[in-house]
Amino acid sequence: MLEAYVQFALKAIAREATYRFEVFTSIASLAVRVYLLRVVWVALYAHNAAPQGVALHTIITYSTVALLMGLVLDIDQTRLLHDKLHDGSIVVDFMKPISVPLYLFSDGTGEVLFHAALIVPSLAIAAFIVHVDVPSASVLAAFGLSFLLGYFVGFCLNFILNCIAFWTLEISAVQLIATWVTDLLGGQIVPLVFFPAALQGAIFALPFAAMYSTPLLIYVGRIPPEGYAGAMGLQALWIVALGGVAALMWRAGARRVVVQGG
Amino acid sequence: MMLDVYRTYWRINLLTTLEYRANFLLWFGFTFVYHGSAIAALWIMLNNFPSMNGWDFRDMAFLYGLWMVAHALNATFFSTVDQIPEWIHDGEFDRFLVRPLDALYQVITTPGQVFPDELLLALAFLTVATIASHVAVTPAFVVLVALVVAGGALIDLSINLLISTAAFWFVQVDALRWIALQLEQEFTRYPLTIYSRGVRLLLAFVIPFGFMNFFPAAYFLHKTSNGLGLPPAIGALTPLIGIAFVAVAYAFWRAGLQRYQGVGH
Repeated sequence: MLEAYVQFALKAIAREATYRFEVFTSIASLAVRVYLLRVVWVALYAHNAAPQGVALHTIITYSTVALLMGLVLDIDQTRLLHDKLHDGSIVVDFMKPISVPLYLFSDGTGEVLFHAALIVPSLAIAAFIVHVDVPSASVLAAFGLSFLLGYFVGFCLNFILNCIAFWTLEISAVQLIATWVTDLLGGQIVPLVFFPAALQGAIFALPFAAMYSTPLLIYVGRIPPEGYAGAMGLQALWIVALGGVAALMWRAGARRVVVQGG
Repeated sequence: MMLDVYRTYWRINLLTTLEYRANFLLWFGFTFVYHGSAIAALWIMLNNFPSMNGWDFRDMAFLYGLWMVAHALNATFFSTVDQIPEWIHDGEFDRFLVRPLDALYQVITTPGQVFPDELLLALAFLTVATIASHVAVTPAFVVLVALVVAGGALIDLSINLLISTAAFWFVQVDALRWIALQLEQEFTRYPLTIYSRGVRLLLAFVIPFGFMNFFPAAYFLHKTSNGLGLPPAIGALTPLIGIAFVAVAYAFWRAGLQRYQGVGH
């Protein structure tokens, strides 16, 4: 039974691999953005050596790792749900002897695994442009775990957004807005510690921070080992909360499709 | 006659906008978040640093505003240029070739659903940024800014036209357009002086993004350096650069058109 879902994931990997030009352009555009982040931060740091106690090499490491994480986190792995609702083919999937959410999860995982593999060549190219600090193995392990938790938070958020299509069918504008908000409030573009102090409390409590900021602050050592439990606990809390909302929306939406279908 | 058609087209467009108010508001929100998040990121950065090579947040806001208006002008008036590849692909493009009007003119005047939301937002933002930057607002300044954003819009149009023309040779140009848009946004956001000399020259004379906003802004804001050691007044050349670049893009377009007809579709 599980084998079917592994096959779905493998199929998704094969499908993504056919977009060779897109792969090439996404790596090329990443290289340009790494160059940009270097010149931008170097120019800013020329006038202030360590704002908020963040050194130049730290911010460059932070921003580069954030871009690489974006290769995975910017993927809308549940897009398939939206597409299937749009053309109505979801009905056929409901008739198959499979769990549709698990099918969507496998397909999305396959897509994400393919893009995660792009991190390796991208990192190799980035290393020519900037110096990326590498922390100790234990910190790297904590970062990996936190990144995984952040990925699940992102998965739930995307799933919720795509579930909206059960009711409205068209959600492209909402999704783009969500991506920009995530990049900004998640701390992908500018670290959240640079945000005005009055806003930080609220922004760190949002789920966007659980996607990017938490793993990144672990990576650069801003969250020390004694803070790991609290930080990752909050991430886990978001997964439970958003996962619950996603499950409720799925059930309400799926019933609606059945009703529509007669 | 041609202008009459264009005027009627715009009247209908604006009336449609008023008809679909909810849709207009949604797109307005979309545009607002898009530019808002970019400007917010700049503001947060410059809250922690006194300046970026002598440009503080107010200067950067003016820089962004100039690009925003130029970009919005192009997006509002020439949005259908983006659709050329799709039309070629579907075979719909051929109908432009059998009519007794210039094909590009027909493309530009093809009715589409265009909301002027981005343009309105851009004009409002540039106005606020201008007031905040303490530039002396004289009639001459207003005229020059109008010419500069018009020239900037032509630069933007040229890039779009070049990419659309590539569709005569390659079927898929979506990825190319996406990258060009991304690069344009990134490379117009910061002062040109932060880049290495090679990149500065590239952005000045090969892909003239620098003329969309940096050179004019450096001129208006009396910045001591424009990164190339050229006289500050080159910032006023944007309209000419725009016209020249459109001419290049149009020549390429004609060549593409020739080739397309030559194949015998």
